Amino acid sequence: MKKIILVIVFVIITGLAVRGFRGPAPGDVEPVAAVPASSRLSELLGADADAGFPLALEPRPFRFPADHGPHPEFRNEWWYATGNLDADGGRRFGFELTLFRFSLTPDARPDPSAWRTNQVYVGHLALTDVVAGEFHVAVRYSRGALGLAGAEAAPPRVWLEDWVMAALPDQDADREPPWRLTARDERLGIDLTLTPRKAPVANGEDGLSRKSSEPGNASYYYSLTRLAVTGAVEVDGSSHAVTGQAWLDREWGSSALARNQLGWDWFALQLDDETELMFYQLRLDDGARDPMSAGTWVTSDGVAHALGADDVTLEVLDQWDSPQGGRYPIRWRLVVPGIGLDVRIWPVLDAQELVTNVRYWEGAVDVEGTRGDNEVAGRGYVELTGYAD
Amino acid sequence: MPVLYRASSGYLLRHPWQLGLALIGICIGVAVIVAVDLANDSSRKAFRLSMDTLNGAATHQLVGGPGGIDEGIYAELRRGGLRRAAPVVDGRGDVQGLSLNVLGIDPFAEREFRHYSLAGRDERSVIDDGARTARGMEAKALRQLLAEPGASLVSAQAARALRLGLGDAFEVRAGGQARNAFVAGLIDAGAVGQLLVVDIATAQDWFGLLGHLSRIDLRLSGDGQAKELRHRLPAGITLLAADARTQSMSQMSAAFMTNLTAMSLLALLVGIFLIYNSVGFAALQRRGLIGVLRALGLTRREVVGLVLLEAAGLGVVGAALGVGAGIWLGHGLLELVSRSINDLYFRLSVTDVSIGTLAVAKGALAGLLATVVAAAGPAWEASGYRPQLALRRSLLERRSGRMLPWLAAGGLASAGLSLVVLQLSGHSLLAGLVALFLMILGFALSIPLAVRFLAEQGARLAAAVGGIPARLAVGGIATSLSRTGIAIVALAVAVSATVGVSIMVQSFRGAVLEWLDETLRADLYVGVIDGSLDPGLVEDIARVPGVSEYSASRRVWLESEQGRTRMIVLKMAQRSYAGTRLLDADPDEAWPAFERDDAVLVSEPYAFRYGTRRGDLVTLETPTGRRDFRVAATFRSYDVNPGSLLISRSTYARYWDDPQIDSIGVYLADGADVAAVTDAIAALAAGRQSVELRSNRQLQALSLEIFDRTFVITDVLYWLAVGVALVGILGAMLALQLERARELAVLRALGVTPWQLGGMVTLQSGFIGLLSGLAALPLGLLMAWLLIEVINRRAFGWSMPVVVTPAALGSAVLLSVAAALAAGLYPAWRAARSRPALAMREE
Repeated sequence: MKKIILVIVFVIITGLAVRGFRGPAPGDVEPVAAVPASSRLSELLGADADAGFPLALEPRPFRFPADHGPHPEFRNEWWYATGNLDADGGRRFGFELTLFRFSLTPDARPDPSAWRTNQVYVGHLALTDVVAGEFHVAVRYSRGALGLAGAEAAPPRVWLEDWVMAALPDQDADREPPWRLTARDERLGIDLTLTPRKAPVANGEDGLSRKSSEPGNASYYYSLTRLAVTGAVEVDGSSHAVTGQAWLDREWGSSALARNQLGWDWFALQLDDETELMFYQLRLDDGARDPMSAGTWVTSDGVAHALGADDVTLEVLDQWDSPQGGRYPIRWRLVVPGIGLDVRIWPVLDAQELVTNVRYWEGAVDVEGTRGDNEVAGRGYVELTGYAD
Repeated sequence: MPVLYRASSGYLLRHPWQLGLALIGICIGVAVIVAVDLANDSSRKAFRLSMDTLNGAATHQLVGGPGGIDEGIYAELRRGGLRRAAPVVDGRGDVQGLSLNVLGIDPFAEREFRHYSLAGRDERSVIDDGARTARGMEAKALRQLLAEPGASLVSAQAARALRLGLGDAFEVRAGGQARNAFVAGLIDAGAVGQLLVVDIATAQDWFGLLGHLSRIDLRLSGDGQAKELRHRLPAGITLLAADARTQSMSQMSAAFMTNLTAMSLLALLVGIFLIYNSVGFAALQRRGLIGVLRALGLTRREVVGLVLLEAAGLGVVGAALGVGAGIWLGHGLLELVSRSINDLYFRLSVTDVSIGTLAVAKGALAGLLATVVAAAGPAWEASGYRPQLALRRSLLERRSGRMLPWLAAGGLASAGLSLVVLQLSGHSLLAGLVALFLMILGFALSIPLAVRFLAEQGARLAAAVGGIPARLAVGGIATSLSRTGIAIVALAVAVSATVGVSIMVQSFRGAVLEWLDETLRADLYVGVIDGSLDPGLVEDIARVPGVSEYSASRRVWLESEQGRTRMIVLKMAQRSYAGTRLLDADPDEAWPAFERDDAVLVSEPYAFRYGTRRGDLVTLETPTGRRDFRVAATFRSYDVNPGSLLISRSTYARYWDDPQIDSIGVYLADGADVAAVTDAIAALAAGRQSVELRSNRQLQALSLEIFDRTFVITDVLYWLAVGVALVGILGAMLALQLERARELAVLRALGVTPWQLGGMVTLQSGFIGLLSGLAALPLGLLMAWLLIEVINRRAFGWSMPVVVTPAALGSAVLLSVAAALAAGLYPAWRAARSRPALAMREE
């Protein structure tokens, strides 16, 4: 449920546009100052709903590996990997590598130049260095042309220059293939192999994930909720061998937020009883939760159960003030009575806000509590948007 | 000492015209230097600024051959992890007759290089609340830029000139075709002024560069990274430092600007004569006062100090006025300079004069120093006499008379030194200019002696013809050389400059005309402004009835770490060969080698600049690496580029993959109707390409027009020099007349009528003009020779025969006489009106 893409693409643009026609100032890597001061997320997204793109109206069966590849007819799409990693000596990391695809226009017109395309790719790479208490972010943009960036289905592969997420060839055609993620920037890098432990699960109504009561305001959404990770991360020139667990979200659609939606809180939790919980809460401008908020609970044998807005209660225990402005909820109590789950969630590091063209918080969290009579713990990732104003 | 100052200022105020002329002299001299410097600096700076803006933060650039750089190389570098790289496809476009820079970019790669601020967002897009609208507009602008062909970010300056607003559609003529575009955003383009920014896909299409880039801008962290990258580059791709590249591009016009500076120095030189004349004269005038002061017990140093202080005061005021006038004049000159640079070298839009402190300081200091030095000599001399002697004028004349041979000897030495400098300085333009000035100085120093001789002879002649008054008038010149000498020299130098420059321009124009006549052999020329001809169109034109054959040319730049080389690719028609004159080879040998054996021809400027001869090898960067090409011959060319190479189309095709043709020359069959063929070609082109269709006559006229325009600046500068000299004559005549008031009064008392007196003064002025004019001729001829054989050759590598017409010489003498007569009118009128009783009573 990462509609952050919309915001991002809108604001890249702003980033490009803000200064005079001249060279950038020294040390000026991200045009942070470019972020417009105001504005409600929903206005921004709602303002530009573009007719002409197909909408996600009906559930559809997912087919693999084809659906791991791109769906360029839809306006936006993403490959969203997050995970918690451990290195030797108790060093712990969280990572996020996301490649967004965005269609500028509903149709790609033929053009003599190989550069012309309606496809734009955006990449976010973030690394949380828990012990050092540091959070690193890198961002990239490219058009989906000339092989600079793109996505393919056979074999599944999506890339933005030298940032690549690619399914590895596997002997057993029936098994979900492992993925290799490589991305590097000046101060950070990852090279990770993700091996699925469970089959993909369809979120929402057989994969149709509705975001508001309006028909078509929805996306196709499936998740690989548990992947075993091996590989290495690099921070400030030193490399660390890591193992851990990751989560891969795939989502595409053409809709925008409804006018009265402020933002969302997204939780992806991997518990040590081999179950996973995904829940997103859409926040309305009157402070209420949108009834279309929803989630999925995945059992240890990989069976998915849809959760509705009323199935989950969330209580904010603490908040964090961003030095850039804005107050984020940062600790919660999450209760799912239907499965007897009652846990507390807190971040491994408060400052996991991505200060890119648009600001949002996306970070590694720890989970602890009970399920029924048993104690349960786990790790996960949380995304918070619409708080930065 | 205050009394002394009062004596000094009192004198100056009682003689306002003298004060005024001294100030004007200093002012004009300083103004010309400042103006030329400002115009040069401003155009240089404008070029650099616009290059810097267009290059953005790039430290290096990757360039390919003439066809550009393969776009796949960019993608490969990017995927290989090179982040700070931005592709660029650029060119020129024409919108409603306005020529614009077109910059094709990838917005996503631009952030590291250039930023675009959308201007005018408040003007047309305020629909909702400000912040949201701005954001929405910017998002829309980028989306349009990427997704919609023709979407353009237009510089606010261009939009104003074209009356375009956000969303307006317009037509761009690019690559010879009309393209549809629209305003997706208005941007602030800084120094570039007229600019269109489009997506790289749009630019590739417009400029026929599909699959290619003009260059790749890079930001490298240091020499290490540059070196490492250089290793990885495929053959035919060159990595250049952005600064060095800008430098070598701006170097193209360096010789042109040096020549302008030399012109300004000439004006200063004449100005210095004038300053010397007025200031020195003011000092001489007060020999009486100085004598009194000395008699009163003032030391020699105190007297000299007083005079110098006064001169410094004058210098400061004059220089300040000169700086002001120079800045004003600079605006006018800048327009001329930038127009010539646009005609000859590169597109330049200079919007304002940048007032450099250096230029201003240089001019002001030159004026100040000249003033003080001019006053020092006379002051020192006057204060050196025993007080009672200083009051006698005849002594001064005798002494200055004795000095004339020494001056002349100094002049001879200076001229000799000039020749030595010429011999030893090789190709140095600066040394050539030094030699030129030494030569002028040498002549200037010898002129007074020559004038005395001529005046003495002239007086005898005048007596025979016009009686006593005529004899007095002409003989007076020789006996008052300490007054008139400097003015005569100033006028002579100014006039000689007009002789030298006009002979040079005339010879040059003649040579260019002949060259154009010879070179433009085809009947019709078809080309595209800032673009290439459609190959299909070329084939169709070849089939038009009445067309017998055609030649095809393409002009490209080859860039290497050593700089840029202009290469002209020619497919010759049978009749073309005779149009290129070979200077050092037998056409029957050179042309076959040119067509078949990979040989190239070098232009005369190229040969001069690089010392290349027939048989030498030149190394060129080809897509497959560096290759040596043998030089088959040197050809005559008056191209302004610092040298070009001529290569045959077939050789070019063997090494470069670039089938583009810029223009063709169409040769008609015997008896074919030019008008009919022209119409047929125009009809063929209609709807396909907007071509420029010109007959050889039209093209020749156009070339000459540009030639003449270039020399407008020269004209302006030498008229300024003449103006300075005029003021000098006026000052000298007035001073002379003032000093001889008693003499004139005596004449009146003896019965000479006012008319006769006025006539005498006029005759004297006229004779001064004649003497100056005659003295100017040998110097003028020598200057012409130096300008053609030394300065032009060293600056541009051209050679041309010196053509001297009697008219040029005659008109120079006439100019000199007319100028002197004009300057003598007022003194003559004053002399005629003088009241003898008053003048005689004064003592």
